[in-house]
Amino acid sequence: MNDFGQQRRQRPGKQGSRRLSLIFLLTVSVLMLVVSMYGARASAFEKARAMVLDLFEPVLTVFSMPINWVDNRVGDVGDYFNVLDQNEQLRAENEELRAWMQEALTLRQQVDYFKQMMDVKVADEASFVDAQVIGESGGPYQRSLIVNAGTADGVEVGDGVIGTSGLVGHIVTAGKSSSRVLMLTDFNNRTPVFIEGVEVEAILAGRFQDDPELKFLAVRDRAGIRPGMRVITSGTGGNLPRGLAVGEIAQSTDDMITVRLFAQYNDTDFVRIVDYTFAEADPEQEESLEAEAGETGDAPAGETAPAGGPAGAGTPQSGRQDAPVGDSPTEPGTTQEAASTVPSTTASTPLQNTPAPNTPVAEAIADSGDVNG
Amino acid sequence: MVEDRPLFTSVARAITPTFLGFIGVLFLVTPVRLFEGGVPTPLFPLVVIFFWSIYGPGYVPSISTFLIGLFQDLILGGPIGIWMVVYLLVQYLVITQRDYFLGRDQHVVWLGFAICSAGGGLLVWLQHSVLAGTWVPAIPLTMQMLVTIACYPIIAIAFSQLHRRVIIEQ
Repeated sequence: MNDFGQQRRQRPGKQGSRRLSLIFLLTVSVLMLVVSMYGARASAFEKARAMVLDLFEPVLTVFSMPINWVDNRVGDVGDYFNVLDQNEQLRAENEELRAWMQEALTLRQQVDYFKQMMDVKVADEASFVDAQVIGESGGPYQRSLIVNAGTADGVEVGDGVIGTSGLVGHIVTAGKSSSRVLMLTDFNNRTPVFIEGVEVEAILAGRFQDDPELKFLAVRDRAGIRPGMRVITSGTGGNLPRGLAVGEIAQSTDDMITVRLFAQYNDTDFVRIVDYTFAEADPEQEESLEAEAGETGDAPAGETAPAGGPAGAGTPQSGRQDAPVGDSPTEPGTTQEAASTVPSTTASTPLQNTPAPNTPVAEAIADSGDVNG
Repeated sequence: MVEDRPLFTSVARAITPTFLGFIGVLFLVTPVRLFEGGVPTPLFPLVVIFFWSIYGPGYVPSISTFLIGLFQDLILGGPIGIWMVVYLLVQYLVITQRDYFLGRDQHVVWLGFAICSAGGGLLVWLQHSVLAGTWVPAIPLTMQMLVTIACYPIIAIAFSQLHRRVIIEQ
């Protein structure tokens, strides 16, 4: 062992050319580093990243198989010894959840009723793509996951990703059959969130540690924040639906407010990718709402509902029938296309979409157009 | 057909170290989660590059090192160039000091690897700090480097067996 390699020394000339090629390649790498410094998400690099992901997706799947198998077996053995404790714990949790379920059902009914009463235009429901985690970043400064679903499954850059217990991150690179998820703990991750209890919006920013911190809070907002308060997605920015569970306030000091995430990184094997497109504000609906607000100012409260019903409610409904926004929430591809095209058509030609024989609706639109024009 | 076989085997032998480097990178992104994610995955590509740069530089030409680094940067999803620079510098350092390492006791080589890893780690940390515009925490990287250094002797024994018995067929 000690004299291993002794006899295989090389000629100096060959060593010199090797050094030269090393210096050349080193220069190339430094240049690439400088380029990536100024354009970290440059399209060429992004394409290369997506290509590498797609190319190695089958290999990564094969690599992760035995590991998942061993993980599951180890989990089984652990469960075997804790089965009594776990059972009791689950019973207690189940009881608590049942109570919550009843409350949730009641609340859902109430919310539906209120929605109906107020004739709110509800944002599109999100559809989901299930995926398996086939890789994760082993680098010390990147927190990301590789999942086996890509653009072919309807995944797009910016889509949110949720685990079993909460938001995990969002898609940063989408290949055809696989994509990369930037986790909430990554230094580069910024997610718009909402803090329940104080009703404040903030940005959740990763910081190389397990608990990300809250940024862009006003001083007066900071004062009310207490550990244990729930943090959810705010929906600002339109990539994520509002209300996905993120975590709870872990620590609140003058310098920093950190959030303990609900999503557990260690048991994230399967994720759901949230395919969601924010329905842009419908100009027609805004107009009708304004008109309605004007009416309610004059009329007594009891008469508002029947009077405002056909005129005010007719407009958004007709818009909704023409527009395929709410029609196909189950088909991810069509939903997104439709959602992106619809607002522009309704905005440019509001009258063409209205059915001609339905005169009250047409009049209502014409009226509301006059009011604002 | 008889003449194809030696060609095939010699090509297979020539690309084995590079191939191992690529496997090492794939191992980095596999969700191994040693001890519930508490222990980072060792940097196998660094060991591959260090080991063959001493005992058989022809088996890891600089272009292989370049490609292994590029592959690692691409698949980790971070800035491109960080690991390429580190791996190429480590190889440059090892090749200039090759005469010193050859024939030395394995403990000395291990120490050399530890120094290279520390230097490489420092460089990675500096690059990330510059890119992030702030001092990034050094602990996760230090942990990964320590695990890699601790694993070196075992991996080196396996590699030297492979090198002697399969690649150069002593």
